[in-house]
Amino acid sequence: MEYIKDGRLNIDKTKHQMPTTVHDPCNYGRKSYMTFGDHHADNIRWITKQCIDEEHYREMVDSPLNNLCCGAGGGAWALPYDEERLAYGKYKSDQIKATGAELVVTPCHNCRDQIMKGLAKEHDLGNYKETMYLWELVAESLIIEPWNDEEVAKGHAERDAQNEKFEIDLDQEW
Amino acid sequence: MDEPIKITRQKRLFDISPEMANVCLTCGACSSGCPATGLVPGWDPRKAIRAIVLGMEQEVVDSKWPWVCTLCGRCQYVCPMGVLLLKTFRACRIARDRDKVPGPLQKGTDMCFERGNNLGIPKDDFLFLLADMSTEVEEDEETPMPGFHVPVDKEGANVIITINSKEPFGEPDDMIFWWKIFYAAKESWTVSSENWEGVNWGLFSGDDANMKIQCERVLENARRLKCKTLVYPE
Ligand code: SF4
Ligand code: SF4
Repeated sequence: MEYIKDGRLNIDKTKHQMPTTVHDPCNYGRKSYMTFGDHHADNIRWITKQCIDEEHYREMVDSPLNNLCCGAGGGAWALPYDEERLAYGKYKSDQIKATGAELVVTPCHNCRDQIMKGLAKEHDLGNYKETMYLWELVAESLIIEPWNDEEVAKGHAERDAQNEKFEIDLDQEW
Repeated sequence: MDEPIKITRQKRLFDISPEMANVCLTCGACSSGCPATGLVPGWDPRKAIRAIVLGMEQEVVDSKWPWVCTLCGRCQYVCPMGVLLLKTFRACRIARDRDKVPGPLQKGTDMCFERGNNLGIPKDDFLFLLADMSTEVEEDEETPMPGFHVPVDKEGANVIITINSKEPFGEPDDMIFWWKIFYAAKESWTVSSENWEGVNWGLFSGDDANMKIQCERVLENARRLKCKTLVYPE
């Protein structure tokens, strides 16, 4: 967020012109609020709206603190209860469908996997096309300027020193 | 006739005070708002709390309920009486014997303790992967990033970032998103060569000791490398 505010990132909003919504992970919204008295729901939306035009944004919930869990919380991906995990996510699926969004943005590995690899296959998500990590949306919206010669040379020198330190030989057969 | 149930402070599995029997209104707000209600026959948050208050803790601990509950915290957030449902259900997970934790959760937690990441990726493989991918990313056709590499153990970097072990294991390209951001912002950043795991399964498996160790390791990396900001993208 700082990077965008300080103008350190050059973002092209035209790269993602599709109806987009945000899913709030329990840990960054409600549980952060209950534990630390603060949450990140506004930040997630702010960053998202730096990458897409406001007119494409579709809100999913009235209150992010009441948002429904995607169904994969609590380590559910590493638990043997897949059926329950997918049934749990039916509520989330209906919410996504109701927004009409094609793109769901979320800053959590679990939520992303659940929506992309779980819910999208199991339930009807309406217009849904893809899920992106918040940082993926930022990265894929960037206009990346190559570094100048001096910066490149510095980067290479650091890289070579590092590879030597860790004894990494990239030509070696693996 | 059955004996009446006496609610006392004796022989309690965890710290639930007997007064809780009066605190919980049995209003059912927790169950109404819980997406897991109806998924495990016989259980929902209100019933689980009631059962615990009435001394049937072991039944709840042995049931599937605390594991199908995703610890999302909605119940606790809405409870008009401030019952700590989330904390209680996690306590149920803690009370499970470690060898009866379902799925690979505890195995991953132990693996992380022993080898520094949940999937047991060896250090050499990890470092080679980062170095190898760095070269590819540099020469990428669509968005070349000349001069890029993944700085490992760079002392004094502004930012240190953890990595979810599923990425180097199965979805390595997903690491590049952060790399692009750091490259474009010209950030001074780094990754630790040891204990770089960004997932903390001790939190979910109910293994407090290991959860703390994992947190300490991540912080220790940041201290050792004198980094100002810790990025923990979970
Ligand atoms: S919301 Fe609170 S008071 Fe109401 S039934 Fe659940 S635990 Fe009891
Ligand atoms: S924390 Fe568990 S019991 Fe409470 S609402 Fe979420 S899934 Fe239901």
